[in-house]
Amino acid sequence: MLRFVLARLVQSLVALAILTVVVFVLARATGDPLQLILPMSASEEDYANARQYLGLDRPYVEQYFSFVGKALTGDFGNSLRARRPVIELIRDRLPNSLKLAAFAMTVSLLMAFPLGVLAAVRKGTAIDRAAQVIAVLGQSLPTFWVAIVLIEVVAGRLQWLPAAGNERLASYVLPGFTLGWFVVAGMMRLLRSGMLEVLDSEYVKLARVKGVAEHRVVWLHALKNALIPVVTFAGIYFSILVTTAIVVETVFAWPGLGRLAYEAITSRDFPVIQAVVLTTAAIVALVNLSVDCLYAFIDPRIRYAG
Amino acid sequence: MKTTRALVVALLSLTLVTGPAGAQGKPELTVALSSFSTEVLDPVLGGHIVKYYLSLMFDYLVGVTPDGQPSKDGGLATRWEPSPDHRRWTFYLRRGVKFHTGEEVTAEDVKFSLQRAIGKRSTTGYAGPLRTLIQDIETPAPDRVVIVTKEPTLIIPTYLSRSLSTEGMILPKKYLEANGDDVFARKPVGSGPYRFVEQVTGSHIKLTAVDSHWRIGAPKYKTVTFKLVPEETTRVALLRRGEVDIADVSRDRVAELEREGFPIHMRREEAILTMWWVLPRDGMPTKDKRVREALNLAVDRSELAQSIFAGRADPAFVPMGLSWSYRDLGFKVTPEMHYPYDPARAKSLLAEAGYGGGFSMDVYAYQLPGLPEGKAFAEAMAGYWQKIGVKIKVIPVDYPAFRKNWFDRATPGAVGYYNIANRDWIGTYALIEKMAYSKSKGSDVVNDPEIDGMLEQVPRQTDKEKFAVLMRNVYTRLRSEHYGVPVVYLHSPYAASKKLGKWTIGTVMYDFFIDELASSK
Repeated sequence: MLRFVLARLVQSLVALAILTVVVFVLARATGDPLQLILPMSASEEDYANARQYLGLDRPYVEQYFSFVGKALTGDFGNSLRARRPVIELIRDRLPNSLKLAAFAMTVSLLMAFPLGVLAAVRKGTAIDRAAQVIAVLGQSLPTFWVAIVLIEVVAGRLQWLPAAGNERLASYVLPGFTLGWFVVAGMMRLLRSGMLEVLDSEYVKLARVKGVAEHRVVWLHALKNALIPVVTFAGIYFSILVTTAIVVETVFAWPGLGRLAYEAITSRDFPVIQAVVLTTAAIVALVNLSVDCLYAFIDPRIRYAG
Repeated sequence: MKTTRALVVALLSLTLVTGPAGAQGKPELTVALSSFSTEVLDPVLGGHIVKYYLSLMFDYLVGVTPDGQPSKDGGLATRWEPSPDHRRWTFYLRRGVKFHTGEEVTAEDVKFSLQRAIGKRSTTGYAGPLRTLIQDIETPAPDRVVIVTKEPTLIIPTYLSRSLSTEGMILPKKYLEANGDDVFARKPVGSGPYRFVEQVTGSHIKLTAVDSHWRIGAPKYKTVTFKLVPEETTRVALLRRGEVDIADVSRDRVAELEREGFPIHMRREEAILTMWWVLPRDGMPTKDKRVREALNLAVDRSELAQSIFAGRADPAFVPMGLSWSYRDLGFKVTPEMHYPYDPARAKSLLAEAGYGGGFSMDVYAYQLPGLPEGKAFAEAMAGYWQKIGVKIKVIPVDYPAFRKNWFDRATPGAVGYYNIANRDWIGTYALIEKMAYSKSKGSDVVNDPEIDGMLEQVPRQTDKEKFAVLMRNVYTRLRSEHYGVPVVYLHSPYAASKKLGKWTIGTVMYDFFIDELASSK
């Protein structure tokens, strides 16, 4: 088991190392950030001063090794735009993204559970089809459109819920729903297929023969076993929610990591882009590693094959 | 089912406790903006846009009225005067003004602030010209500062005033020296009517009122919060819910909000939308003045103002014609200067110039802050020019990509545009010196020796009328030589809550004069 975990850990670290090169090169390929930082009236001397002050006048190789060396100690340099240490910005924003993702995850589980179970129990009926349509809509409707409609109608016109910010619990509802609905389809399908398999198993049939009430058979005995694939995938869904929230965070003015990434990309803020990509990649790598380990723990065949 | 019911009840109760906040009688003022620019709190690290919130925290050396006129009542200097040779400008400081730390503002603070503003680290809008111009700063008395310039000049008071960028903001020397730049950038201290409380990057900046301020008395609002809300639908929803009091909105949203009863404060002619060709002109069709005129005559400015800008724009006829400077410069746009929409004459001019069969021209299309219509506008312009036979290729890019091509002169003859913020007469000189003076190199779009000669004389003038004559002549030549395609003046709408009351939004670039709104005097 330890060998398996170590091997997966090394793979993750290699992936992150390759990513440092990719993100370093791509961030610079987009152009000169000073074009956005300095005013139109800036002279060539102003450009030279700023380049020197921000360390952008050094050779790329030197910049890369400086970036990697410092990143290993948690120092991602200073934001070119906000002129503050990047790690501070990440520290400010990451908890907001994690909280939003946790809320969205809760929303998606609350939607996927009843929909998945009902679709399986009423397989082939109108309820099954309706459940699938609700789930698939979440994935197929553009997130920005859902967000804007919710803000316009629920927040602006009906005035039921806040339109922006993250100060109150109610502020989580609209962005959490928008984000959570997106992953409902996958979860609901996993649950539906798991339930169908379990409902057809011998122990469920036995329970029915023994006269156990149908709702107990479905919600207690069958659901418990059908949950295993959903729980193992939940980690991956969570990392998807953290890393794909750019649109939702921007529309709902949510000060999270996605917004930070958007701001950094539009202002060519290299240090922030690099730090955000590496942070999110580290989250994904960590979640994948945990899921791999969980699988290996549950099913020893994976360990030996790996 | 019980669980579902409980969940619905919980969500409903959540909505009940979080109904609209309501602006009535609240001591807070909240402003939602689509952009904070760089979000920095140190005046020397920002561009112009940071003025929206920094001008509440810092006093300027020279104050201005909301319509941009220098005011002895609005800044730390109660008066200022040049020496007879206009190379020494003496500023007399207001006594008893205190920073938020309790320290009194002195001449040493002014000297320190100006030196910092023109230092190498500074990225403010006019650090470069000031660096070139200022020779020394003297402090003969605690309430007196003398700025010594290398050349005779008129521009010093305006460059250090609230009408331009952030160079004239006065910072506390002792606090900065004791705490350093990094601490200052996180916890800025000024002497303005509001002091810094907190900044959550990407979210908001919160300020709280001082007990009493020398300029506005006890501020009416206890706190002012600037919220960063990039999406317009969200800003409008916040306004409808009463969670914000002021929000920038797009031109095409104005009619809807007015119907709902929200007051719209329009900054008329906040920017001129003007197009130009990337230099050099040699070998390009636009080297011929007739071609440049034809491209101007091909455009129906009134139609554009109505269709693309929802009627919230007016035709412009002078390249880089910053209309807020016209009154001071005594410049008038005469009827002869108006470009009629005349595609037939445009075609005939092209034929006279030897381009009857048309020619190819690239038009870069991009959005800009304050110009969400950017790409639609570029496509409309392409349509007009295609009608007179010019073969247009519209190239969608982001602005920095175009700017690089422009400054590097990598795509000669290609067309770009900008919504240049309107400004006063000296601000206009500062802008035109960058865009129409060949020694400005990359940013120049004119390259005309006659204009160069006039612009070289402007900063040396010590008589305002002579300054104005030169600038009028520059404008006249920019128009007569068709150095660019001035299109429209853009009016910028700001929606306010129904309870906000009277607010003079002013005509100073990147400044709403929120402090005037908060004034109890």
